[in-house]
Amino acid sequence: MGKTKDELYSAMSGAVVDMDEDLSVQLSREAVETGYDAFEAIDQGLTKGMERAGRLFDEGEYFVPELLMCADALNAGVEILKPNIKTERQEEKHKIVIGVIAGDTHDIGKNLVKLMLSTAGFDVIDLGRDVPPSAFVEHAVKENAKIIMISSLMTTTMDGMADVINLLNEKGIRNKFKVAIGGGPVSRKFADKIGADGYSSNANQAIKMVNELIGR
Amino acid sequence: MIVDVLSPKERLKKTLSGEAVDRPPVICPGGMMNAAIVDVMNKTGHTLPDAHHTSDKMSDLAYDVYENTGFENFGIPFCMTVEAEALGSTINFGSLECEPKIQKEVFPSVNDVTFLPAGTIENCNRAGAVIQAIYLLSEKHPEIPVIGSLTGPISTAASIVDPMTFLKQLRRERELSHQVIDYVTEQLMGYAKLMADNGATAISIADPTATGEILGPKIFEEYAVYYLNKIADAVHELRIPVIVHICGDVRMVKPQLQKLHSEILSVDAIVDLKKLKDELNNTPTMGNISTYLLEFGQPDTVFKQAKHLLSKNIDILAPACGLSTSTPLTNITAFTSAVKEG
Repeated sequence: MGKTKDELYSAMSGAVVDMDEDLSVQLSREAVETGYDAFEAIDQGLTKGMERAGRLFDEGEYFVPELLMCADALNAGVEILKPNIKTERQEEKHKIVIGVIAGDTHDIGKNLVKLMLSTAGFDVIDLGRDVPPSAFVEHAVKENAKIIMISSLMTTTMDGMADVINLLNEKGIRNKFKVAIGGGPVSRKFADKIGADGYSSNANQAIKMVNELIGR
Repeated sequence: MIVDVLSPKERLKKTLSGEAVDRPPVICPGGMMNAAIVDVMNKTGHTLPDAHHTSDKMSDLAYDVYENTGFENFGIPFCMTVEAEALGSTINFGSLECEPKIQKEVFPSVNDVTFLPAGTIENCNRAGAVIQAIYLLSEKHPEIPVIGSLTGPISTAASIVDPMTFLKQLRRERELSHQVIDYVTEQLMGYAKLMADNGATAISIADPTATGEILGPKIFEEYAVYYLNKIADAVHELRIPVIVHICGDVRMVKPQLQKLHSEILSVDAIVDLKKLKDELNNTPTMGNISTYLLEFGQPDTVFKQAKHLLSKNIDILAPACGLSTSTPLTNITAFTSAVKEG
C-alpha cells in the first residue's frame, strides 16, 4: 500500500513483463480497491508491460514461451479490471478476422499474432487452421470486420492468400477490408504482388502494422 | 560422361562417416522433407493419401520418387503424423496435394498426458507399414540408401499436447514437461531402432517446433538438444548415422547446435551454410536449396543455385525445408542433375 498511481501502474507493467500472474492479479485488485479508473489501469499499466515484452521479443531477449506467459499475466489482470470499466470508456473495438489458409499444419505463428493483437485491444475472431479462402470472406462480412489476416507457413498454400483478395474483388467489396498476410515463406514482395495491404514478419510488428492500416 | 564409382548408399554412408567421396550426395529424407510431389504421383499412379497406410503402396511411391526426382535415396514416411497418431492425436490424412496434419492434439496440457506402454508407436499400423516398407526397399535395392524419417521429440510432444499451452509449460511446468518429452523420446527411440534394425541406412529427425526462434537458446538447449541427442545416441548404438534438421534462423542457437550428436546438420534456406560450417568448426552440413525457388523458380535458376551450393563444399545437397507438393518435377531434376554432373 501507499503507492502512487504511477508507481502502481509501473508495478503492473513490471508484473506483466516479469510473467508474474499472481502479482498482476494482486496489483489489479489494488487498483480497483483504490478506486483508480480500470480502463486507465489496463491501458497505462498492464498493456505497457506487454509492449515491453513485445520489444524484448523483437530484441531476442524473449521468445515464444516468455511472450505467452506475459500474455497470461496481462489477461489475469484484465479479468479483474474489466468488470470495473465504466461503460462510457468501452469504445468499440476494431474487429479482425484471422486464420491459417487451407492446407496448413502450423498455427503457432497465427496464434501468437492473435494473442498480441488481443492484448493490444483488438477484437480478434479466430477462424482456426485449414481455413478455405471463401470462409475468410464470409466471416469478415458477417462479423463486420475491418481487417482480414491470413497466415501460412508453407509455400503450397500461398496462392490461397491471393484467392481471398480475388474473391473480395469479385464481390465488389475489396475496399471494405484491409488484408494483411504473414508467415514463414511470405515476404513483403509477395504481399505487394498479390495486392495485400499489409505484411508483417513477426507477431509484435503485426500490432504496429495493423495500427497503421486503420490509421491509428 | 562421368561414371559414378560409388553406389548412392556407399556415397551417403561415407559422407556421414566423414570419409572422402567423389561428390556430395543429393537426397531428400522424407518425413517433413517429403518429395512425393503431385507431378510424380500423377505420372505413376501410386498416390497419396493411400500410400500413407500400407507398406506396398508406401514402398512403390518411395521408389517412384527415387526414380523420377533423381534424389539418391528412399525417404519414408511421407508425413509427420505417424508418431502423434500412435500416441493418441487425431489425424486428417489430407489429399493428393495436401499432406496429413494433426486434426486435434489429444491432450490440452502436459498435466493431462496418458503415458502409453513402451512400444506404442512401433506397434501401431502405420509405423508397422513404414518399418515393413523400409525392409522391402532395403532388401530389393541394396545399393540405394533408405532413410527412416522421424518427427522430433519437441514436435511430437507439441502434436499430442496443445502447442500454445505446451510452450508455456516448458517454462512453467518443467518437471512435468520433461516427463512428457522423455516419454515421447523413449517411444521415438523404440521406433527409430526398429527402422534401423530393418535396413534403414540413416535416421533423419526433423523437429520444426524446436527452433531457436520459437524456443530461444535456453529452452532449445534444455529440451531440444537434450532429447534429440538421446535419440541420436540410441540410434548410434546400432551403428546407424543420424541427420538432424533444424528449421528457421539458427543465429540464436549456434553454440547449442555444436552440442548435437548427429552426424550432419540440415538447416533452412535462410541460413548461410558455408558460414555456419565455418563457425561450427567445419561441422558437416546438409541443405539448403530454397523450397520457394524449387516451387516458383525456373529450372536454370535452380541449376545455378545448386552449382553455387556445390562450390561451397556443402556435404549433402538437399531441399532446405518441406517441399511443396506442387513443386514442378523439372525443377527437382534440375537440382539433382546439377549435383550429379559434379
